Amino acid sequence: MDTFIQLTVDGLTLGSVYALIALGYTLVYGVLKLLNFAHGDVFMVGTFIGFGMLQLLGGTSNPLVPVWLLLVLVTFAAMAGCAVLGVVIERFAYRPLRDAPRIAPLISALGVSFFLANSMQLLFGAEPRNYNTFALSGGALYLKGVDIGSVRVPLLRIITISSAFALMVVLWFLVNRTRTGKAMRATSFDREAAAMMGIDIDRVIVFTFILGSALAGAAGVMFALRVPTNVAVGFIAGLKGFTAAVIGGIGSIPGAMAGGLILGFAEAYTQGYISTKWSDLFVFSILIGFMIFRPQGLLGRADIRKV
Amino acid sequence: MKRAIVLAVVIVVAAGATAAALAKPSATGSASAAQAVSCKSTLTIPFVTPLTGGAGFIGTEQATWAKYAVKTLPSHYGLKIKLVFGDTPVEQGPAPALALAQKYIADKSVVAILGPSTSGNAGASTKVYTQAGLVQLSPSATHTELTIGTPAVPYIGTPGFFRNVPGDYIQGPTDARFMINKLHVKKVVIIDFQEPYSVGLADIVESTLKKAGVSVTRLSAPNTTTDYSAYVTKVPNDADVVFFPTQKPPDIQTFGQQLLEQGKKAKLFGGDGSNDPAHFTIAGSYVSNFAPDITSIPADAAIVAGWQKDNPGKVVGSFGPPSYGAVQILLEAIKKACIQGHGSIQQRHDVIRNMKKVRIPNFILGGTFRFSTKTNDPLNAKFYIFQIQSNGKYKLVG
Amino acid sequence: MSEQTGQPEHGPAIGQDEWVARHGERRSTRDGPLGTLETRLRRVPWWAWLVLFLAAMSLLPLFYSSGYVRRVGFDTVLYMMLALGLNVVVGWGGLLDLGYVAFYGIGAYAYAMLDSDKFGIHLPSLVSVPLIVVLGAVVGLMLGLPSRRLSGDYLAIVSLFFLELFQTMTTNGDNVFGHNLTGGPFGILNIDPLHAFGHSLTVQHAGVFAVSYYYLALACFALIFVALRHVNHSRTGRAWRSLREDPLAAEAMGMPVNWLKLMAFSFGAATAAFTGTLYAALNTNVFPLGFYFVLLIIVYTMVILGGSGSMPGVVLGALIISPLLEVLRDPGKSRVVFYIAVIGAVIVAFRVSRRLGAIAAATAAFGFVAHAVAGAIDHQWVAGGKSGGFGGVLAHWVIVPTHLAGWVAPVSYVGLIALGLFLTVASPVVRLVLLVPTLYLAAFVWENVMLASPEPTRYIVLGMILIVLMIVRPNGLLGEKRVEIV
Repeated sequence: MDTFIQLTVDGLTLGSVYALIALGYTLVYGVLKLLNFAHGDVFMVGTFIGFGMLQLLGGTSNPLVPVWLLLVLVTFAAMAGCAVLGVVIERFAYRPLRDAPRIAPLISALGVSFFLANSMQLLFGAEPRNYNTFALSGGALYLKGVDIGSVRVPLLRIITISSAFALMVVLWFLVNRTRTGKAMRATSFDREAAAMMGIDIDRVIVFTFILGSALAGAAGVMFALRVPTNVAVGFIAGLKGFTAAVIGGIGSIPGAMAGGLILGFAEAYTQGYISTKWSDLFVFSILIGFMIFRPQGLLGRADIRKV
Repeated sequence: MKRAIVLAVVIVVAAGATAAALAKPSATGSASAAQAVSCKSTLTIPFVTPLTGGAGFIGTEQATWAKYAVKTLPSHYGLKIKLVFGDTPVEQGPAPALALAQKYIADKSVVAILGPSTSGNAGASTKVYTQAGLVQLSPSATHTELTIGTPAVPYIGTPGFFRNVPGDYIQGPTDARFMINKLHVKKVVIIDFQEPYSVGLADIVESTLKKAGVSVTRLSAPNTTTDYSAYVTKVPNDADVVFFPTQKPPDIQTFGQQLLEQGKKAKLFGGDGSNDPAHFTIAGSYVSNFAPDITSIPADAAIVAGWQKDNPGKVVGSFGPPSYGAVQILLEAIKKACIQGHGSIQQRHDVIRNMKKVRIPNFILGGTFRFSTKTNDPLNAKFYIFQIQSNGKYKLVG
Repeated sequence: MSEQTGQPEHGPAIGQDEWVARHGERRSTRDGPLGTLETRLRRVPWWAWLVLFLAAMSLLPLFYSSGYVRRVGFDTVLYMMLALGLNVVVGWGGLLDLGYVAFYGIGAYAYAMLDSDKFGIHLPSLVSVPLIVVLGAVVGLMLGLPSRRLSGDYLAIVSLFFLELFQTMTTNGDNVFGHNLTGGPFGILNIDPLHAFGHSLTVQHAGVFAVSYYYLALACFALIFVALRHVNHSRTGRAWRSLREDPLAAEAMGMPVNWLKLMAFSFGAATAAFTGTLYAALNTNVFPLGFYFVLLIIVYTMVILGGSGSMPGVVLGALIISPLLEVLRDPGKSRVVFYIAVIGAVIVAFRVSRRLGAIAAATAAFGFVAHAVAGAIDHQWVAGGKSGGFGGVLAHWVIVPTHLAGWVAPVSYVGLIALGLFLTVASPVVRLVLLVPTLYLAAFVWENVMLASPEPTRYIVLGMILIVLMIVRPNGLLGEKRVEIV
């Protein structure tokens, strides 16, 4: 039972990060019908921006501000930085290709992904960067926590999971209760009709990218607080987030959240109960099967092609 | 009809070319053939190591020490040496190493190869280099079968491949026996990362422990894993030791923190890849390394000081000093070949022949260096076990 | 329905739509001497081009006896074959296949298993290679079969997962229920070289790469080229073209869309598997990491650069990219490449005109002034350059400090990108003025930041080629602009 609780907590932690990344994929796919392969690398840049901000604020051994403020500032810096990066990418790599055949922005996205990952390596080297969260207040974030049964859930995990959920709630609010959110939903439903209704498509798309990339930045900080980051994490994180978005139904926001959590749990449980060696294989085989029998994912709409 | 004729003609031509190619007994081997290289000219030593990619930090550390060695040592031997770098990121498999091999073989001024640093590339390119007569001295490829064959895995090395660090067949049993004799372990968890270094080491430790009756749980993590939470969960509460032979010290640090987070009592044991006082500081953990900390060897003080002056702000790691030592060994062998050839290296093979004659007292890794007579490994190489103290210092315990 | 041949030169023919027939072969020709040249060149039959090309490539080993050049040549030929295969899937079938290199790996691993000491099987090459080609086609079919109802994006996703699956299977295949199937991360070593009729094709002599493999690769390339061209000009090829232009219309016309997609997939997979066997035979060992994402992007760049859908195009793409990647490993040579590329781009952008001259002069002057000023402030700021050769000449123009402060690299790099992006949206006047400092900054960044780490630089160049290509010229070098039928 203990193992189950522990694995569930693990799954939740992993899943929250995946869900945030998946949301970025899904938001962009909804409005642009584009699989933004560069999203994972935006996430990676977010981890580095957070690292830089952390060093600026004195590092985890000697922070210049209280712990909670440190975390908030670092997250905010990463979110802002990634939002800017997302907007730049959209403006220069995707907007010129908006009316091109579908394959064009996809290839451009691949190029951007490659470009970002290698530029970061060029500038910052291949060494891993450790936030060293353990050093904050003598390891308090790791050692103090809430007890469930005989399993102790450390503060850090609680913070990670709750902030991820908080962000998702904010996102839900933005998408469903604001005008721009409504415009976003309209654009994702039918871009031409939305334009004809007077919606400024460009602004909506920029807004979407800001949202998605900011979430990736936040995910980056949450990720890097627990594990060391390096320039190569973008690829794997992107792949996992992308997988989560696809499971949940790409284009569907609750789908992305669900997909992220499902993927997190699937990983944790297969690693814990079946085998660590074959967990990847297991997950990918299930995915391929899933895609074949239900390509629209759990909550997505089946694609209706107009003739 | 015309198309068919053309198709037939082209296929016949293709077949003819193939037959001609097959029938040719030997291709024009040329350029690298016996041409004496004068020892007064600038000789080139390429360093084949990953400078970018996931293992890039290993190569960049080794590069600083190799550069320092090439800056300070050749004058003692009356040689002029140029150091060039061949980047072989691990993400691309052996292809870059093989392409670079051709490049260096064709370069007449190349007389020896420093590296390849990774076991995978060493195994893939050694035949080609040795056939061309170039010696390879690796400061970090520890895969056992590169110098000796075992009952399970055949010998994949060549007579031209040497290394100045002991192989996994020494590290594995040393670590395992320490665990058995000093730590009295009953239950051990071993994790490998699905790449040659860790899998090889993990296999040896597992079999040694099993033979002594220790209960072993073997886990395997993809090399791209960053979050080990689920693996930590799988560590039994009563496990004594977790053997974690990673080459990325921040990973073992994180794993240790997560062990503490989940309240597990097991002690961490890392291989030589985890030996990094800057990044791995969890008190009570163990690390094995093929050299005692060189900053504690008095004879090395000058070298360390000089290196630190050239590399301000950098910390002495474990991958670096063997590269310095490797350059020194190569220079010795080259010098001997020069003397033998009366001022020039008659054939590249001469350097290989002189490797076993190299003796270096006050070697950077301690003691006198020479190769074993039976294998191309260092003689009497041993591994040292360190324990991390509460102040983060590494203390020699075995 | 009679077949359209596109040659409606004599009067109206029964059953032929003149306009469509002419339309099918219509190309947009340029005016002037370039256009006439193009039309003349197009009249040369394709097989003449092929023979000429093969002859030129065959002469390479005569000029360069270095094993390295031969090795790069061989790799280039392999890339050409891979590009041809990907062209079938992407260019002709219109399918975004992100798992293409998995078939390459399957071919290589299959050859490794059938012709090595691993399982003790040593099939003669003439048996194993065709077997593996069939295997590749079958696996392609199997992957395509369940995915045939999936549209573009979903197929991309499934094929990407397939690549991951392949990677995981080969990396963990050393312990499948106790059997070591794929050698795991250690790969499979000591693969036999190709052998037939009792002769073995040795890989190297005294460490130098054997030229016979190069010729063999050229022969295989010719075979594939001819075979694929044959397919392209058959009914299947025409069906692929219509499928690519408008899948819905094609389906409405009764074409077996799914079957066609499968065929494209299979052909591509078979070509990749074939190339894989050559790769395995030459390298004598295979590792999982040799068949992963980086390789995929490289092959895609070749196909896109050359022009997807055009066979000579993708061959040209491979011919450009493969040696480029090798050359970029070496700082001295990449310096030359960079300046040629920049100067070439400027010439292409401005044609030969007064503006070009103005820009060239201004950039040179700007550089010398900046260099002089920097040198006057602190000699160390300009002392880092090379002394001899091309680099030495440049050292008087570009600022190359001896030691680069930590912040210089990221700031100048990001600044260059920002400036470059700004140029694309600035007004023409501002653009012209800012071009000069941008060019100089680019040279500065290249010399100081990018040459210091050639590996990421190679891939940055690749990524930029992809992005710029898609925006500026999506049909690549030799691809054709699709003629819109309204």
